[in-house]
Amino acid sequence: MTTTLSPSAVVPRTTAQATAVASTSPTGPSGRVPTRVRTNPFSRLRVAPMTVFWLLIVAILVVPILLFLLVAFSPALLDQGTEWFTLSAFREALSGQFLVALLNSLLVGVVTAVGSAVIGFGMAWIVRRTNSRTRRLWTGAVFALLLAPSYLIALGWQRLLEPGGVLEIIGFHPTLARTFFYGPAGIVLVLTVKGIPFAYLVIANAMRSLGGEFEQAVRVHGGNRMASLRVMIALLSPAVWSALAIVFAEAISDFGVASTLSSAAHFPVATFMLYNAIQAFPVQFPLAAAVSWVLLGLIVLALLAQSWALRGRSFRVLGGRSRPTMRIHLTRWGQLATGAITLVLLVVTLGVPAFGALSASVLTGLGSAMSVHSWSLDNYARVLTSPDLRDPLLYSAQMAAITATVATLMAAVCARMLASSKKGASARLLDFVLLAAVALPGIVFAAGYIFAYNLPLMNTLGIHIYGTSALLTLAYVATALPSTSRSLVGNMSQLHESMSEACRVHGSGSVRTWFAVVMPVIARPLLAAWLLTYTATLLELPVSQLLYPPGSAPVSVGINKALSAYDFGGGTAMEVLAILSALGVVGVAYLLFAILAPQGWKRLGRTS
Amino acid sequence: MIRTQKLAVSAALAVASVAALAGCSSTASAASPSGSAAVEPLVLYSAIGYDAAIAKAFTAASGIPVKVVDDSTGPLLTKIAAEKNNPQWGAFMADGATAFAALDQGGQLLPYTTTASVDSVGTSLTPSDHSYIPMGTTVVAALIYNAAATTAVPTSYDDLLTPAYKGKVGMNDPAQSGPTYPFIAGLMNQLGGTKGGVAAGEAYLTKLKANGLVVNPTNGDTLHALETGQINYGLIQSSAAMGEVVKFTAKPVAGYDPKVIYLSKSTLLPSAYGIDKAASPVQQSEAKKFIDYILSPAGQKVAQGADPSGDSLYWPVVNGVTPLAPLPATVPSSSQAIDPTFWGPLQGQVVTWFDSNIK
Repeated sequence: MTTTLSPSAVVPRTTAQATAVASTSPTGPSGRVPTRVRTNPFSRLRVAPMTVFWLLIVAILVVPILLFLLVAFSPALLDQGTEWFTLSAFREALSGQFLVALLNSLLVGVVTAVGSAVIGFGMAWIVRRTNSRTRRLWTGAVFALLLAPSYLIALGWQRLLEPGGVLEIIGFHPTLARTFFYGPAGIVLVLTVKGIPFAYLVIANAMRSLGGEFEQAVRVHGGNRMASLRVMIALLSPAVWSALAIVFAEAISDFGVASTLSSAAHFPVATFMLYNAIQAFPVQFPLAAAVSWVLLGLIVLALLAQSWALRGRSFRVLGGRSRPTMRIHLTRWGQLATGAITLVLLVVTLGVPAFGALSASVLTGLGSAMSVHSWSLDNYARVLTSPDLRDPLLYSAQMAAITATVATLMAAVCARMLASSKKGASARLLDFVLLAAVALPGIVFAAGYIFAYNLPLMNTLGIHIYGTSALLTLAYVATALPSTSRSLVGNMSQLHESMSEACRVHGSGSVRTWFAVVMPVIARPLLAAWLLTYTATLLELPVSQLLYPPGSAPVSVGINKALSAYDFGGGTAMEVLAILSALGVVGVAYLLFAILAPQGWKRLGRTS
Repeated sequence: MIRTQKLAVSAALAVASVAALAGCSSTASAASPSGSAAVEPLVLYSAIGYDAAIAKAFTAASGIPVKVVDDSTGPLLTKIAAEKNNPQWGAFMADGATAFAALDQGGQLLPYTTTASVDSVGTSLTPSDHSYIPMGTTVVAALIYNAAATTAVPTSYDDLLTPAYKGKVGMNDPAQSGPTYPFIAGLMNQLGGTKGGVAAGEAYLTKLKANGLVVNPTNGDTLHALETGQINYGLIQSSAAMGEVVKFTAKPVAGYDPKVIYLSKSTLLPSAYGIDKAASPVQQSEAKKFIDYILSPAGQKVAQGADPSGDSLYWPVVNGVTPLAPLPATVPSSSQAIDPTFWGPLQGQVVTWFDSNIK
């Protein structure tokens, strides 16, 4: 049966049969396999869907970014000046103080990226490779961390350290810590707290797929724990570099944290100049575009570093023979140490912003000259009874769910291309476009969307997408795609081709192969990517601000409105409720995965 | 490679279909309002706290629907500028005349003279070409101080440079707080006019910094610093200062007694209203009716009731309407109006200087 393939060949069921088929069919004299590939209806469609994919990438990423960047050279093109070609914006952007700001941005970016990656790696190791009792605490806390807005992180620290603040009330005089916090170190601290959960998710997902056999091989050959750690780090380099690049890009594009915390110590960063150019009248888009070009230059440097570090090597470790890893059984001291590290990290990353939220929304008079401190849930009652919160929260939740679904699907395709061992020009271009989208502050990205989709040409073509929820969704997808793709690259780069090839050789079509082989391996990372996108989109501000359809404000705009009207209590209560709703979604999603997903999907990363 | 593409096939198809679905549903919902010809929703870009309430009241009174895009002034200005080759707004309202003067210079505003009876302050704030309309005014800066913590009350800006006030005065960062640039511009205008004002103002702020000026991001942060005793005096917008007084008059707290005075001179900071020259004739006509309604007694009642501890604390600029209770009946006698066409374009330069030298 196995040597004479008929057109209706039965799919072999046993290992023996599989081996037999594998050894005969590709080289079989009948030539039926290539014939079947030729007649597959999908093969004729092959070009078209990839074209659709690239058209989408061009429409949602390339065109808006390119149009914005073009304004630096040609303000007249989009009615932002009279000159058709000029370099004056660059002269202004590259003068004096800006160079200092640029170096500051670079410094903040590098330190933040390295700090986040080191801590993220350490936590991933504790959670995935040891039996530390506190590891579940961290897994549960990661999404809360992703959700903690930098506003709350900064606020929490300020309320602790400020003169007359909580630490002073309880008898400490944190003068040194205050000097430390209100300056570059504080900026790096807050940005690192924002970067850790991302670095952790990317690295931990990859570590989950790294079977125990590699570490065992090192130990068998006489290597000590350090040697095995070195091998592990080397095998995980795509994920580590992915984390480094994205945290770096996020850090250099941040404005809020830096501008709040650098007010005491003079420490200008590049984004300050950019915001100054486009949030004051007259709005100077050409100058902002010139600054954006420079930020992109930094991203090129980051990508060069990444490709230099990973050049020409393969990181495919996930094959059919991956073995469960052995968790390291920690001694009592080991348990104590990992427990202490986890707890300190949780207090710093989650406790402080939670305190910020509490002090602003529940306690009245905390940390003030006033002696009266009292608890009050007034702010929550006010928010819950007003439709001003409910409607935006529901709207944002819907938008976040649609965005997460579209972005995760697209990200799977992007990640597959980025992880390809033979990276072609298109994959390199995709890599650059995705990272560029992160390095440009959200407001630049949103302005690019207005330039592109509010063109009179669009009306002429009959495309009326500007000012609709559809355009906001596309912009959200474009904003989320870079980080969602990168969160999957680590896993995709580990998928060994041999597994899919074996499945295809046994007669499965591409779709079936995807569901039978690829899906089980990446199901959990895909779910994590979906949740990552959902939670990040729910509270997204800069794109929401510029692109929301008139009359349907997203929740972040509502929160911002309350905060800017000095309603700190109400604004923070809205924020806390939005975060709680998102954590609810995360909990339900993992619960459903545990109940509904096939057993095989959950097996990956199993430990013994 | 083939497999990669096949994988891409299914994913891309799914993506395309979801995107198409999203597009279809939203296009359908977006297309529906433009059914009738005579009335179309007025698109209002607004950074004023009482906008939603007044829009709702106007719709109830006139039957004209208003779609509000409510945001801070900065993002709204970015949006208007980015939409310049195909404007989407019908009317725009925000604090500060400088943005409106710049829009006017760019030929983006439709001049209109309201039918309401504007008083003398309102007239002084109305530009000669009537390109925008003042809806009310606040002043910058109001000096708010904690009377429970200090008895020293300054009488001039020079007093703030003396040792009695060392390290105890706070203001906002003009890069992050909208009303703060007009305050600095007003100070410059007062100290040296349009000739040497910038240099004189920079010299004054440098001395103020040498005397321990504390710079906080926005009005709310400066008020927090005052509440917590980090400073005893805050230079902020009058509506934020009076809002603080209203809040603590209603719920008094021991050790904190906010009081407000106005040093000579205070700079008028009008909330202004502009009509888009590029909007459809229908929206332009609706926008005119809207501003007439806002300045009518009924509209003023709504505006004063909607945000009583924030943006409703303004001095009306129409005859026959008095400000809310805690405000003095008239604007401070030493108030000045500054020329937005001169001071507006200097904003970037001054804010950058402030960031480099004072912050």
